[in-house]
Formats: sequence, structure tokens, C-alpha cells
Amino acid sequence: MAAPPRRLLLSAFTGLGLPNHGPGLWWHPDAGRIDHNDLDAWIALARRIERDGFDLLFLADAVGTYDVYHGSRRQSVIDAIGIPSNDPSVIISALAAATTSLGLTFTSSTLQEHPFNLARKLSTLDHFSRGRVGWNIVTGYADGAARNFGLAEVGDHDARYAQAQEYVEVAYRLWEQSWEDDARRRDASSHVYADPQGVHAIDFDGDHYRVAGPHLPEPSPQRTPLLFQAGASTAGRAFAAAHAEGVFLIAHDPAGARAHIEDVRARARANGRRDDDLRFFQGLWFVIGSTVAEARRREAELLEWVSIEGVLADLSGKLGVDLAGIDLDRPLGELRVSGVQGIIDAVRERHSDTAPSFRDLVFHLLGARIVGTPELIADELAHWQDAGVDGINVMDVPAHGTFASFGEHVVPVLARRGLVPLERRAATIRAQLFGTDRLNRRHPARRLTPLGALAR
Amino acid sequence: MSPPRIRLHALRQSTVGHTAIGLWRHPSSRAHEYRELDYWIETARILERGCFDALFIADALGPLDVYEGRVDAALRDGIQTPTDDPLLLISAMAAATRRLGFAVTVSSTYERPYQFARKMTTLDHLTNGRIGWNIVTSALDSAARNLGLEHQIPHDERYAIAEEFMEVVYKLWEGSWEDDAVVRDVASGVFADPSRVHPIGHHGVHHHVPDIALSEPSIQRTPVLYQAGTSPAGKAFAARHAEGVFISTYRPDMARALVSDIRAAAAGEGRDPRSLRFFTIVTVIVAPTDELAAEKYADYRAYASLEGALARYSALMHIDLSALDPDEPLSYVETDGIRGMVELFTRLDDTRTWTPREIAGFVGVGGGGPVLVGSPETVADELERWMAEGDIDGFNIADPVPPVTLRDFVELVVPELQRRGRVWAHYQGETLREYFQGPGATRVAPEHPAAGYRVPAPGARSR
Repeated sequence: MAAPPRRLLLSAFTGLGLPNHGPGLWWHPDAGRIDHNDLDAWIALARRIERDGFDLLFLADAVGTYDVYHGSRRQSVIDAIGIPSNDPSVIISALAAATTSLGLTFTSSTLQEHPFNLARKLSTLDHFSRGRVGWNIVTGYADGAARNFGLAEVGDHDARYAQAQEYVEVAYRLWEQSWEDDARRRDASSHVYADPQGVHAIDFDGDHYRVAGPHLPEPSPQRTPLLFQAGASTAGRAFAAAHAEGVFLIAHDPAGARAHIEDVRARARANGRRDDDLRFFQGLWFVIGSTVAEARRREAELLEWVSIEGVLADLSGKLGVDLAGIDLDRPLGELRVSGVQGIIDAVRERHSDTAPSFRDLVFHLLGARIVGTPELIADELAHWQDAGVDGINVMDVPAHGTFASFGEHVVPVLARRGLVPLERRAATIRAQLFGTDRLNRRHPARRLTPLGALAR
Repeated sequence: MSPPRIRLHALRQSTVGHTAIGLWRHPSSRAHEYRELDYWIETARILERGCFDALFIADALGPLDVYEGRVDAALRDGIQTPTDDPLLLISAMAAATRRLGFAVTVSSTYERPYQFARKMTTLDHLTNGRIGWNIVTSALDSAARNLGLEHQIPHDERYAIAEEFMEVVYKLWEGSWEDDAVVRDVASGVFADPSRVHPIGHHGVHHHVPDIALSEPSIQRTPVLYQAGTSPAGKAFAARHAEGVFISTYRPDMARALVSDIRAAAAGEGRDPRSLRFFTIVTVIVAPTDELAAEKYADYRAYASLEGALARYSALMHIDLSALDPDEPLSYVETDGIRGMVELFTRLDDTRTWTPREIAGFVGVGGGGPVLVGSPETVADELERWMAEGDIDGFNIADPVPPVTLRDFVELVVPELQRRGRVWAHYQGETLREYFQGPGATRVAPEHPAAGYRVPAPGARSR
């Protein structure tokens, strides 16, 4: 007898600005774009996707403007690429109050906030959401971001990851080691809210950070929030293999996803982690029709709205290379960039038998999509699942309306196939994905050297 | 002329013990629910029912560890530790209300202005213009040690850093996006017009921020600005920047002296001294009769923690009061901490001899401000007397047994004040700044320093 199908996790992938995955596409009149400044609209969206069976809302973020293309941010402003964009952390509590089981994940770069403050924010949100908050750890790729924080440049790729290692260690110590489980007594009769013996300074003294502690919030349901990583570069994969519980990937086909997943899993095993300790979410977008022909027609109509200049501005920013005036048919060659090298590596991998061109790079940036009927989409998703994908990160292409379409048309098919549960329980997001509220003991956050007693 | 409106703020911190230490043990207190959104949402709804201008949420970035040189006493009473981040509470309360404003404390010493400006703009969007910022510079050594410093940055230097911080955020809020920069033109495929979005090009002593603001401008642009320090540098800062000033005095004549001081300094900065609104901290214990109120106060007072109160004030004053005889008079001590607080206790009041025990008893329920106890009429009389004698604009009302104390106030005192025509029965205006300046006034006043960074400069562009 065949084993029951593995669950397919669903994440809604957007950000607190204009949709950012297909410059220009969100102008389409049927895109269902919501006002990114409107709280009620975001609350309605969170409620809707929760009802429709999504496990996660992922609010991606970047704290710089793309100004590499033509050496100017002009095109980014015209196409609203990364700007205007709002801060995702401050909306989470409203979404938490409006939902009961939806995981709420957002990006915070290790450049933008001191780890003491970030650790406190995530604990706060984990309290407010009763354990449903996730952190997508980004090490910050645009020099545009770094210089607004008073840094000259972001530093080389590997140096950034070294700083990130220290950053997460500070956060782990605050989350996992500062407060013992039974430190909070709330005992009026003995007049003890918290027992000082159970609350510890961390006295962290590193190359980049010095943090005394103790952690200001008491422990939250998950302590460490659910940890995500999204980079595809070698250093990014190593970081994911060490720290991530959820990995967001943007492979172009199931074979590419399989290669990425197997690579990260092998690295994770070398770190003493198990295959079941990580969940992989593939970014995809969908054009749905009642027939394949109708879906194809919609796709063609939609792509007429794409802003090629916008894509080039986006790509220039991500790569750190000005692509102004580039001949799209020129081969990529041995191009190495200071920005997101993973994008180029992925294109090379995908076109390993031919010499990929800049045009291939441009179309790669629009991401992988599935065009067809709900049944065909479900069939295709099975191929991704066979490649090792645990979940789909549904991209907001052309805009937010895609989540409702996916929920209305595709989720029922997935549910019929037993891939998406019809009922969900209010629990921490880690418990929903892994069965436990806390990180397991194989994770580096649980394997830190113990703290000394609270310095007196 | 009818007497001026009494402007109401409520005072909270996202922690167990804030102004009234030890009262978390009272059976009616829900202070320990500070981690629950439902508790905050209920509070916000109570305040909106009472037409409060805003909920003010205080914050601190380090534990109180001056008393006995350790955090033990603070932990036992949950005094500011444990504590959650106040900024992250706002959107949940905003979704549950339509008019209530939110004033939130954020330290300019430990935030990066680019990131911070974006958070406030986001919240101003999400609240439809109901956000305010209480500017603090962080006085705690323990906060400094958590954020990579050995010791606190000296007091006056913190204010110098804060000055530059203000310049950066004003540029981001007022001087980056022109009002009509967002064109949303589907025909030309232009969301925003790049020629109307300007890099701020800030290169100062403490901050370098060259770029444009990440968020498009919000309704208020600059949030309503509050300040609470009463040291000389703090007063000068308030006179330049603050639209709301939180003060802490226990007699109206002391309030009047402080208010007149800061108003005069504001006039010296070219501002309308009456455009600054002063709110004094007050704790109100109200019941249908004076007698019942007195009983309620006695009941609350029985839960006040002597050690906890001393721990809180040790940290505020940078003096370890555990080292002193509880009954020994406290002489004036020059510390690097909150000098204003020391002044309040030891210099301004010559009618009491301050000992540690006196301080603990005094702040036990009121937390450094007056405790008004009585029937709705008695309390309303006292509040009106404070308004007239103190030359203040309203009150910052503490919540020692949350949310019971605030609910009592809204249910008993607010109707009495409404009968007297002293508080709103309905909000007038929709944004927090309109509550301060009148309907239609959503932006900072033209003479406020933030207005000087507007683009295009007035009259610069002919159309």
C-alpha cells in the first residue's frame, strides 16, 4: 500500500510595499493589488489566507534602494521596486490579533538592527502571537542599505556571514539561556514575580558585539522564533544548513530544487542535524484558467505589462552590476558579482549545457511559474514535492489577488488529494511544522556553551 | 471664554511593575497580562470610550540594577523587567480603534535614524495618522551595556546626539518625498515621479544617511513629538522639538514653574509657547463616594512594595538607596542620571525631608506624581484646580491596578468632566496632531524646526 501523501505546506510570499516579483505586472487591472499602507487590507488578507489553508505569511523586506542601474535610483522609483516600502515588524501584532494559526514571518537584516533590540522584538511578537512568529535571516546585500546605516559598504560576502554568525549567537543566548523555564513565578504570596536566581546575564563579548543582558522579555512560547534563510550562494547555503529550519528557494525547475535541497541537507547532516529538521519552500507563481489555453492567454496578456527596464533595475541592484545598455544576447561568461551571486549560479546551473545569456538572467528573475488548470497545477506541484520540496512559497505575482485565486481554485484540489489539511489547530508555528514548540537539541542555539552564573 | 479642554493621556509600560510597584499582587490587577494582545486591545477600547487623546507607552532598554548593585529587587517585583517592545503593540490596538492616538517611547541613542523613521512612517500609515513619539535618550547604564557600550554616554552628549538624530529624521519625514511625488499613473507606468523624490544627503558627526526615505509620506509625516526629561538639556530639547511634554510634579505650583520655564524657552526658539501641551502624571483612585475611594486607596496601598519602590528610584536617581539608612535624610547628590528627578525630590520641595522610606511611601502608589482620591466630583474639582494653578494642558493618567484604575476613571470621572464641559464627548479631528492643534492641522506647525526641512521649500517652485 502506498504511503499517504506528504503534506504540502503553503506560504504567501509578499512584502509591505508594492509587489516586487514582476516589475510592472501589478499594474494589471485584475491583479488584486491591495493598498500597502492600509492596515485593514492587510488584516483582511491575513484572515483570508488563513481560512484558505496557508500555513505562513512571509513578509520579505530590504532596507536599501536599488540605484545601480544607470547609477541612479530613478527606475526603482518609477516602477516602485523596493520603494516605497514599509517596515514589516510593526504590522505583525495586528495580524496576530486577527488570526489564530497562521505563521507570521518577516525579514530582518543583520545590518539594520542591534541584535539585543532584534531579539527583544522577536520575543515580544512571539508573546503577542502565542508562538507564531518567524524570522527570515538576511545578511543584507545592497550597498544602498549599508550606507544608510552609517557603514561605507556591506563588506565582502564571507565577512558578512561571519558577522551574521556572531549576531545570531547573541540572539540565541538571549532567547535560550538568559531565563530559565521556571524563573517566572508570579507568586503574590511570596512576593516574587520572577526569581532572580533563574535570570542570567549573558555577558557576550565578541568581535562585533558586546551584550551584557539579561534578556528583557521573559521567555516566549517558542523562545527562539522559527528561523528561515533565503540565500542560494555557497555561504548562504552553509548558513542555512547550520541555522535555518525553513529555507526559501527559487529554483527554476524541480531538478534545480532537488540539487539545492540535497546540497543543504548534506551540509546540515555534517552539522549533526537530521533531514527532518529542515523544511524547504519553493517560490512559484501561478496563472490559473479553466482550460490550459485560457491560462496561456492570461499569461500572455499579463506579460505585456512587464517593465523590462524595471527588471533590469531590480537585477542590477541585486547583482551590484549596472546592466544599463546591456545586449541581452551577450553570454554571461564567468561573471562574478559582489551582490547575490546565487542568482547567477542558478542560471548557469539551469543552462549548464549551453552558454546562458543576459536574457536568460532577465527571465530567470521573473521566477518560476505554473500556468494551467487547477488540476494541472496540482500535478506539477507533485513533481516539485518529489524533488524534495516541503512547501510552496506562493509569490505575489502579479499582486496580492493571486493568493485568493490560489486559495479558491488550487487549494481545494490539493485538499482533495490529501496534501492540505482541511482543519488547522491553534498552536505555535514550530509545532505546526515540526511537532514541538522549542528548537530541538541538534540546533546550534541549543548547543552553546553554558553561561556562568549571573555576575554579582 | 469657556475653560480649556482637559487633555487626557493614559500611561503604561509593557511590563509588570511600572509606576506602582508591588500592586501586581492585588487580586484585581491584570498587570501580568502585558504579553497578551487582548489585554492591550481592551485597554485601548476603554480609553477610546473616554475620548483620551492617546495611550502613552513608556520603555527602557536595560534592567534596573542600581539597588544593591543587582537586578534582584527589580525582578522580584517585575519592575520594568521583564518587558516587551512597545512599538510592536501599536498596530493591534490601532486595528481595534478608530480615533485613539498612540505615543510610544523610543530611544534616539540606540536606534538608527533611517530604520526608525521608516517604522514611524509605517505606523502613521497603519494608524491613519494617530502615532506619536516620546523622544528619550536612555539614562540607564544597563541599557548601554546591552548595546555594546561600557558606560552610559554622558548626559549632555546624549542630547547632542539626539539633536542630530532629529535632524536626520526630519529630513526623511519632511524633506525626501514631495506631496505630489506619488502619481500612480497606469498609462505611463509611473508609480512615483523620481524628480520629486530627493536624497537627504545627510553627513554629520554621528550619522550618515545619504538616501531617500523608504516609505512614502504618511498623513502626519512627522509623528507628534513628545519629551519627558526635565534636566536643563532636556528642557532645552523640549523647547525646540516637543509638541507634548510629560512632566512629573506633585504640586500645581511646581508644575507652573516648570511649564512657564519651558514655554519661555520655546518662545525663545521662535515657537508659539501655547503650542506646547503639558501633561502631568497623576494617579486617580475614584469610587462613587469619598469614603469608598479612601477605602480603595487603603486597599491598594497595602500592596505597595517598599523594596521595589526603592529599587525603581535608585535606578532613576543613580543612587543605591539600599546602602542608606531608610530614615536618613537624602542630601542633594549630583549624578550623571536623571538630574531632574533629583531636583524634584530634594531641591524644589522644601516642605518635606526626604528619606528613602519617605520616598518609597510617597511613590508607592503614585509613582512620583500626586494621587487624587475621592468621588467623581472631588476628583474633577482637583483636576480643574491643577489645570488652573499649574497652567497645564492635561494629564498623564497612571494605571496602578491595570486596567481597573483606568476603567474606573473612564466610567466615573470622564462623565463628570463631560458634564462640566471639560473633556470631549466626541473626538474632534482624526489624527493625533489635530487633537493638539485643531481639525485640519495634521502637519507640524510652520515654526517647528521639522517644517524647515520641507521640500520644495515654500515658494521655491513655480507651477
